[in-house]
Amino acid sequence: MNASSTPYGIIAEFSNTASLLHAAEKVRDAGFRKWDVFTPFPVHGMDQAMGLRNSKVGWFTFIGGVTGYTTGMIMIWWMNAVDYPLVVGGKPMFSPFHAFPPSYELTILFGAFGSLFGMMFLNRLPRLHHPLLKHRQFAQVTHDKFFIVIECADPKYSETETKKLLEHAGSPRIEMVEE
Amino acid sequence: MNRSSAHLPLNLAKYRNVPNILMAVGGALAALGFFVNREQFAFSWLLAFMFFLSLGLGALFLVLVHHLFDAAWSVPIRRISEQLSTILFPTMALLFLPIAFLAPQVYPWMREPHPELDHALHAKYPLFTMSGFYVTSALCFLIWWWLSSNLRGWSLKQDQTGGALPTYKLRRYSCVGIILFAVTLTLGAVMWMKALMHEWFSTMYGVYYFAGSVWMTLATVYVITMVLDRQKVLSNILHANQYYYIGSLLFAFTVFYAYIHFSQYFIIWNANMPEETFWYLAREKGSWFYVGIVIIFGHFFIPFLGLLRIDVKSVFPYMLAICVWAWLMHFVDLSFNIMPILHPQGFVLHWLDLGCWAFMTGLVATVFLKKFAAHPPYPLKDPRLSEALGLYHAMPDSFSAADLSPQHGRQGGK
Amino acid sequence: MAAHVSPITVPEPPRELRREPLVANYHSFGWISDRVSSLTEGKAPLWWWILFIPSVLCLGMLLFMLGYQISTGVGVWGNMHPVMWGWDIINFVWWIGIGHAGTLISAILFLLRQKWRTAVNRAAEAMTIFAVMCAGIYPALHVGRMWYDWWLFPLPNTYTMWPQFRSPLMWDVFAVSTYFTVSLLFWYMGLIPDLAVLRDRSKSKVRQFLYGLFSLGWTGSNRHWSNYEKAYLLLAGLSTPLVLSVHSIVSLDFSVSQLPGWHTTIFPPYFVAGAIFSGFGMVLTLLIPLRSIFKLQDLITMRHIDIMCKVTLATGTIVGYAYAMEFFIAWYSGNPSERFHFMNRALGPYWWGWMFMVGCNVLVPQLFWMKWFRQNLVAVFILSILVNIGMWFERFVIIVIGLHRDFLPANWGYYSPSPVDILTYIGTFGLFFTMFLLFLRFLPMIAISEVKGVIPQADPHNPMGGAKTQEIIHDKE
Repeated sequence: MNASSTPYGIIAEFSNTASLLHAAEKVRDAGFRKWDVFTPFPVHGMDQAMGLRNSKVGWFTFIGGVTGYTTGMIMIWWMNAVDYPLVVGGKPMFSPFHAFPPSYELTILFGAFGSLFGMMFLNRLPRLHHPLLKHRQFAQVTHDKFFIVIECADPKYSETETKKLLEHAGSPRIEMVEE
Repeated sequence: MNRSSAHLPLNLAKYRNVPNILMAVGGALAALGFFVNREQFAFSWLLAFMFFLSLGLGALFLVLVHHLFDAAWSVPIRRISEQLSTILFPTMALLFLPIAFLAPQVYPWMREPHPELDHALHAKYPLFTMSGFYVTSALCFLIWWWLSSNLRGWSLKQDQTGGALPTYKLRRYSCVGIILFAVTLTLGAVMWMKALMHEWFSTMYGVYYFAGSVWMTLATVYVITMVLDRQKVLSNILHANQYYYIGSLLFAFTVFYAYIHFSQYFIIWNANMPEETFWYLAREKGSWFYVGIVIIFGHFFIPFLGLLRIDVKSVFPYMLAICVWAWLMHFVDLSFNIMPILHPQGFVLHWLDLGCWAFMTGLVATVFLKKFAAHPPYPLKDPRLSEALGLYHAMPDSFSAADLSPQHGRQGGK
Repeated sequence: MAAHVSPITVPEPPRELRREPLVANYHSFGWISDRVSSLTEGKAPLWWWILFIPSVLCLGMLLFMLGYQISTGVGVWGNMHPVMWGWDIINFVWWIGIGHAGTLISAILFLLRQKWRTAVNRAAEAMTIFAVMCAGIYPALHVGRMWYDWWLFPLPNTYTMWPQFRSPLMWDVFAVSTYFTVSLLFWYMGLIPDLAVLRDRSKSKVRQFLYGLFSLGWTGSNRHWSNYEKAYLLLAGLSTPLVLSVHSIVSLDFSVSQLPGWHTTIFPPYFVAGAIFSGFGMVLTLLIPLRSIFKLQDLITMRHIDIMCKVTLATGTIVGYAYAMEFFIAWYSGNPSERFHFMNRALGPYWWGWMFMVGCNVLVPQLFWMKWFRQNLVAVFILSILVNIGMWFERFVIIVIGLHRDFLPANWGYYSPSPVDILTYIGTFGLFFTMFLLFLRFLPMIAISEVKGVIPQADPHNPMGGAKTQEIIHDKE
């Protein structure tokens, strides 16, 4: 370990999903807060194993959708019934029927923006640097390896105890990551 | 999930007589109405008939698509749909007889003294003749009989024998069946409901009746599954995901129905041609307008918002309320289609509506319960049952499908 | 009620009815990364250049044709009274219809928990985006003076005019632009974890930088996956009504009119079914050669092909129902114009278009009832091309036959495309294939992380996922 660098956390490798899931349950039960599981694909049941609560992305989508629909309806009403009224085909200046298709599309458009950007906001992405991305073994996370990382910043963290916990959880390979 | 919370089997013995009471009271009311107010009786009967026809056809559809999609999750609940679909014959066929006899009192086109002078009617020759009406009706029931009895029969046969043959047979029936189903359902909706205003036409009408039918059938299947689960009849083979999937399908059909009905209305509204708009104009008169509003909100918005969340689809008391609501809304929707002919001035909830409906509810419930009790409650030896239970894992050892299939991995120059 | 409380016996499925695994030969996670990523690494193979160069030439021709059309006017097309919507709108609807299969696979099948979609969704979504690009060209040019296209959008202008939202063409503007944007977002979001795969494998600095930039610093954190999966689900939930609405709105362009053959209430679901049908035709046309060239038989298995054939069959049959309903209701309505129109479809001067339409869209897919056709790649490939041809003719039938003989015989005419029409259409293939080949070259054509998630090893409760506690697999055995 380089003396000038500060440690970021402890990284434990796992080779299959079942042992990873059980290890995550152990870390959760030990009461850690600043820790995470890294996988090449979303592992079914991992949210419960980590004790994560339901994602809040839905709120962004919902607000986006409502904004889109109201924008559409108000815009069409104002443009076609207030600012530039023009009789076409004997139809009313404003009707929720003909205003529906564009408003509906705007609902979806804004809802989609809400979902993607909400996800990025909640995940604090884009992020151009992450201590883990420097770690050589960690590049395998997008290939076929699974990792649990417990940060040193966690109040429960202790170099020996945490390492023991992860060893006990069945990790064959445990290393330190530098900041 | 809630399903584990019910420890003791649900005992519904005290309600055992409800179908009989419904049948007796409803039958008495209907019989009284037959003599007192025959026209109202005929319309109320037609309304109740179309309602339960929805159930039979919806169930038949669920069975057909189960086989066509080679589905696994719906194996544990398939027997419910199979038994429900067999009410199409003879129960629904017998219930059709009063309509067959009273047809001239129901359908204005039959009362036309000179059909050749009414262009909209004359153009439909020979479908819109008395014999055309009866032949079409008989054909529909024959096809439904053939399909529903064979689909149930081969499934029951598989309970005894197991094996792949019944599965293949059932798929064959479903291939032919889905096409016959589409044709006959459309004919039924056209001849028995759309023909009430024979001048009106819409290519969407069959799909419209179909969407509502499957919607109310899914609600029914959900409730039956839930009751059977609590009675410990199906609890061994049900997972939480069956409820989730039926709930999701119910949600999907809520949207599908709204899509279909909105499209039909919207296209007619925009083109604004008198030969089409009169159908909707008749349904904007008097209190029918408010019935239309009830359908927009009750048939779509309330169940849509109610079913939007993922977790509610397995909360039983909540879903029960939604399913009962779906029955009510389907009834209102059919009423919106049928009743403005009899009551053009506005919506009337006649006691005969309730009487005929109660009679048929009792009858259909009795028939269904009897059929269901006579056979195993789920397909015992269906090849996809283990997959539905989550017990089936494709394994690489011993004899996997990979080694057996001749095409596997070798196609295309490998 | 049948008393049934005792422990149950569940039969093992008969051998012939066992499901084939989604990834054949039980490959590992790493194999999937290697197999898919390697397609974007190393030098471009010869066949790629052989396809790419003509595609770019075709694209050049498209640009030339568009330049000619813009500088000269829409008169260079065959559109002439009474057929004022010709190949331009046919091709617009055709291309946008093709896009729909991509969204169906990525969104609707996701909501339906159809795990097989993972092997084909990336390529299908890419197809969607490029097809919508091809489609978008036509309405933009069809307006005649394309430098006024911005009037279509609600932007303030010096005439203090606003767009007129009672017109279905305005709905189209919103539908198509939303469709393109959301499809792109959805596609990009699916790509993020796979771009991280490519980033972590990159040897060169340029690749490392670019894939690193676009993968946004993805680490595979489960806290991220949790939000990501939710967002993916929500985008799928939004794209599903979107894809239904887009072709419904395209159908409203026709059906809110009063023209026989255009104005009919079944148009929205019928157009959607037709769009998905043609899109699956195109997916099959693209993927069958690709899986052989790229040796992807273990990822895109015969089971995938089989299912896609069945979807084609189902949607083709729904389209057949709609054709039948149109004829039936034309007869039922007793409206002489309606009746004449439909007779004119089958027996008029464009009878051959109608024959192509019914033959390719209704009759040809019925062959997929037979397993032999679904399992024979040559047959599937030929049938998928016929599906594309048939759906092109469907739009031809609706637009050209609908317009060429309307209510007044004095207004009748006969439409033929001009060479510019034909060359522009061929040019759009240049655009499509140029984009698609670039996609194959630089992006993973199979959703790596999604496929990893559906193999047995991914499931912590599956014995292959490493679960030690062997629960009882089957009672019998």
